[in-house]
Amino acid sequence: MSYFTAENLETAHEIISRYPRKKSALIPLLHLAQEQEGWVTDNAMRQIAELADTTPAEVKGTGSFYEMFKFHPVGAYMINVCTNLACQLLGGEELLAHAEESLGIKAGGTTADGMFTIEDVECIAACTEAPCLQVNYRYKLRLTADDLDQLIDDIRNGRATDIPEHGTLGLVRQHIPAGAGAGIVAPEQATERPVWLARNDAAAEGREG
Amino acid sequence: MTAVENEKSTVTVTLNGVEIEANPGELLIDAAERHGTYIPRFCYHSRMKSVGMCRMCLVEVDSGRGPALQPSCMIPVGEGMTVDTESEATKKAQDGVLEFLLINHPLDCPVCDKGGECPLQDQTVAFGPGESRFVEEKRHYEKPIPISDTVYLDRERCILCDRCTRFADDVAGDTLIHFMDRGNSTQVNTFPDEPFASYFSGNTVQICPVGALTAKPYRFKARPWDLEETISTAWIDSVGSRVTIQSSRNQVLRLLGVDADSVNWGWLSDKERFGFEALNSEDRLTAPMVRVDGRLEATGWAPALAAATDALRDVDPARIGVIGGARLTNESQYAWTKLAKGVLGTDNVDAQLGDGLPVEAVLGLPRATINQACTPGRTVILVGPDPKEDLGALFLRLRHAVVNDGTTLIELTPTRTGLSTIAAHSLHPKPGEVDLLAAALVDAVSGDAHDAAGVPANAIAAAAASISGPVTVVLGRASVAESAAVTVDAAIALSQLEGVGFLSALRRGNVHGALDMGMAPGLLPGRVPLRAGCDAFDQVPTEVGMDTIAMLEAAASGDLDVLVLLGSDPLSDVPDADLAERGLAGAGTVIAVEMLPNASTLTHADLVLPAAAPTEVDGTFTNLEGRVSVAEQKVTPPGTARADWMIAAELALRLGADLGVESPESIRAEIAVVSPVHAKLTETALADGRVEGVLISGSSIEAPTASGSTTPANDAYSLRLVAARRMYDNGTMLQASASSAGLAASVKVTLNPTDFEKLGLDAGTVVKVISGRGELMAPLAADFGVPAGSAMIPTNAPGSNVNTLIDASASVTDVRVERA
Amino acid sequence: MADGSYLKGFGVTFKKLFEDRVTGDYRGGKGLEKGKPDEKRPKADRLHGRHVLNRYEDGMEKCIGCELCAGVCPAKCIYVRGADNNPEAPTSPGERFGYVYEINYLRCIHCDLCVEACPTQAITESKLFEFSFTNRSDAIYTKNELLVGDDGKPQQLPWEDWRDGEDTMTSGWMRATSPAGDHRYEGVVHWAGELGYGLRDPETGQSAEANDDEGARPAASSVEHG
Repeated sequence: MSYFTAENLETAHEIISRYPRKKSALIPLLHLAQEQEGWVTDNAMRQIAELADTTPAEVKGTGSFYEMFKFHPVGAYMINVCTNLACQLLGGEELLAHAEESLGIKAGGTTADGMFTIEDVECIAACTEAPCLQVNYRYKLRLTADDLDQLIDDIRNGRATDIPEHGTLGLVRQHIPAGAGAGIVAPEQATERPVWLARNDAAAEGREG
Repeated sequence: MTAVENEKSTVTVTLNGVEIEANPGELLIDAAERHGTYIPRFCYHSRMKSVGMCRMCLVEVDSGRGPALQPSCMIPVGEGMTVDTESEATKKAQDGVLEFLLINHPLDCPVCDKGGECPLQDQTVAFGPGESRFVEEKRHYEKPIPISDTVYLDRERCILCDRCTRFADDVAGDTLIHFMDRGNSTQVNTFPDEPFASYFSGNTVQICPVGALTAKPYRFKARPWDLEETISTAWIDSVGSRVTIQSSRNQVLRLLGVDADSVNWGWLSDKERFGFEALNSEDRLTAPMVRVDGRLEATGWAPALAAATDALRDVDPARIGVIGGARLTNESQYAWTKLAKGVLGTDNVDAQLGDGLPVEAVLGLPRATINQACTPGRTVILVGPDPKEDLGALFLRLRHAVVNDGTTLIELTPTRTGLSTIAAHSLHPKPGEVDLLAAALVDAVSGDAHDAAGVPANAIAAAAASISGPVTVVLGRASVAESAAVTVDAAIALSQLEGVGFLSALRRGNVHGALDMGMAPGLLPGRVPLRAGCDAFDQVPTEVGMDTIAMLEAAASGDLDVLVLLGSDPLSDVPDADLAERGLAGAGTVIAVEMLPNASTLTHADLVLPAAAPTEVDGTFTNLEGRVSVAEQKVTPPGTARADWMIAAELALRLGADLGVESPESIRAEIAVVSPVHAKLTETALADGRVEGVLISGSSIEAPTASGSTTPANDAYSLRLVAARRMYDNGTMLQASASSAGLAASVKVTLNPTDFEKLGLDAGTVVKVISGRGELMAPLAADFGVPAGSAMIPTNAPGSNVNTLIDASASVTDVRVERA
Repeated sequence: MADGSYLKGFGVTFKKLFEDRVTGDYRGGKGLEKGKPDEKRPKADRLHGRHVLNRYEDGMEKCIGCELCAGVCPAKCIYVRGADNNPEAPTSPGERFGYVYEINYLRCIHCDLCVEACPTQAITESKLFEFSFTNRSDAIYTKNELLVGDDGKPQQLPWEDWRDGEDTMTSGWMRATSPAGDHRYEGVVHWAGELGYGLRDPETGQSAEANDDEGARPAASSVEHG
């Protein structure tokens, strides 16, 4: 049943403690689960449900709304090639076709060694740098077919150190000490203005003063 | 705001050019409906929070900033609001919404169970565009997938109104179905391999506005136009949920909840909803049976009644006993009481099987209604079984009150219950010591908090501090492994609280009717003791008779010549299997009046008389509040089965006495004369209370007196037994229901995980549980909801029955758990 | 009666014995009088006779047990119950099939509303009405009798008087309105263009369009029977 490693379980408890309601921690917990195994397994959702005092159905229901959570195994490197208008005009589709050919898989597929998954995605908001793609949500801009081959080669040979494996959001995980939390309380229990608002006020006063 | 406006308690809204008065805060859709304007809707349900999912209820609203389309289920009425539900814009919106909803709807109405009673069909005809411009392929899913043992889900038909998921999450608290994925792929689904195993899953079928959710027991059984229906009362438990019984071709096919404001709000537990299957079971008794050479053989009514009369004639009344009667209608109960107490002259009548409460605890304390318990701002103290397991509809009402209306719930239960997650305080006393805890709670209210029953003083003090407003105590036996005296003592302690009212949690169908009709030792119809007498009876026993346990003991020692089992199964239900077995074996003649053969009937009855089921007789039922509601005959009994009152009348005639009963109405008329508390139960009152029922109040029974019993301390090696009921068990009715029979979980022993270490055992290990009375084998399970030192075993579970461990004369049962 | 007028009555009966029968040369297939012809009178194309339950070409039953025919029946002579198809060996396409299908011919008024109501064109009427029973239960046709054979032809039951070629035109189906709610079809009467045994040509003034599709269907006369 248990899914999280001891270290991640500790992080999970830390995350939950930041929220007045345990259920509010679902999204960061799902990220944590995805970080551990590259995708969100059923077992992960079962444990998240247990930790957040809810049911696996609610965890999956919440998580499956979000495209970035994968509920089936994906490659360690997820290549999202944009084929939306700007990229399309500048060869996004050709880039995708090239990626499919050089990796021997179709968009949506994963290479047999579990290294790469290609996805055909809509606009990733880098139109000025078209054609572009993301590898595990890290931008690679103005790519040619050769650039792409180089990128794949770099990843294969461990040279793409700036890109963590799929699921890892940041290279460094922030830990928020208990005292530095935002001090959120459930709306029905709120008796005064949120702490962060007070902090903002204080900051504003400081600026004025 | 002027003074005049302050005085005004309503809000004036112009609805389609007519000024109407609405209640402040009322939703526009409700206000319009109350004034005769139906606004179409799919997602809105008056008993659930609005979500505005379906957009069908868009109407043109002008709140002063010009008319705009707004969902009427999301906006409360406002002073001076102008609403147009028939404008061109509204019509165009309705057209558009329906066209959109139908884009992915498969229109397989001819094969859909909802076809003919489908809000989507009806509202498309009434408000829809009449044609679609959508020519593309619709989305496809696997046709119905079973999401539980009783419910099928057809995702193609779903219009994503959020009713079922809201019900599961908000009302039942079983968030086992949820919207998955998004956009065009949005679908309702369960988590893989975790089915929608909710006790209340059937309600989602009833509220689904399309045929996306269908019930297995009704699947393809009939179309709506085949069905005849009548409003009646559910008979499975004592909540008295109001239901519509629907039948076709003399067979009950479906039960739907009726929205009775004072009872079930339209909700039913699955046991109530699907329990009718037992009545259609092939096992139903269709002819009288008599035991010949050890085997039950079918016979006719004349020889069967003659045999029964022979057995009953000229017997010392003290040597006759009647056990059971909670299944019967009030009218049949009255007839049987009249037969037993007025004709036979015995007071040995008990509708409860040693697993209930003494009459004084039910009728002798101030009573509360469900609505009183659920009034916002009040406090409910649960001293009794888990309502989720025993009284499904009551659980939903209580849950709603606690979650939405700020009712404070304090649990004094031996284990965690279905309400624990929302309870303000869950105090778990050691089994058999809830009386001490209750007394401590009362002490804490007056400022003297102290430890009690293994619960620390500060927890008791916190619970006492949270009590606000009048208190309703939900009172019942949380565990049949502890004596009723403990519960009674707890009730006596809690009755000192201010403004306290008691809501009985006795669970059997019409057990409260049975008490009202005098089916308990020392009691006569109308909530009066024996000494009050009864003019309608030829005689009244002078001595208070025996209860079930005493009767069985008498029978075991050969002191009972005739034992009548009136719809009861002592072997399975009496919390002392050994005593039940000895009693039934020792009784002279055992006469069973039954719908379905049960363990006791099959092994011990000498004579079996087939009885009609609740859907096959006219009559009334009394629920746990004392609310009397109608049960109407919908189908005819199978074979030659007869209504119970007819059997009583027939037996009386053959014994040379005329009960003077001719029909349920005539019996009701007699009850109204005999019983002062039932005087208001006229036919007119019953007709007026067709949905809500008629609340009967008042009682001449005195309050219970403290037993003064003390619970012995258990030694360090034993665990104290908690024998609690589960919704699905090995009960005769349940096992005869095809779709519910498999739902009963097999027996297991649940311990607190900390006890595992002490015992050196693990979850899943099959263990031997030994008490002073007997032993049973069962696998272990872990649950922090069971306090350390206790062992929880469900009653009458498939596998082995916990009542083999229990000694009815002991106040608690201690067990040892050993590796098998 | 004392005036002996009843003799007049006998006289009428006696005289009729020697007159030609109103039923012409119809002898119910029994050939009672040898050498004499045994002919049925020609019937109108759209005569409503006893029903048939059709199959698809692959042998699956068209009936899905939806009970719309039973619901619409003004004589309440149809009794249908649906059941779940066995996914391994389905009786009809989809989830549901007609598990029970009975028509009581003592009640049926041959109004054809069932045929109009049927969403799958499972029930249609043949032109046969020459059948009789000697007890009431025989008058209730069940699926056994109503279902067409694998060749799509109605069963010729022993107590029914079928003649050559009479089993054609059993699948003719018409309805007055379009089921799809397409306004262009409002009030237009259609003949079904579905596969089956024997089709009728549209009559004058009726649309020649097949079913609800706009494409023309081949003239019925060009479709081979069987």
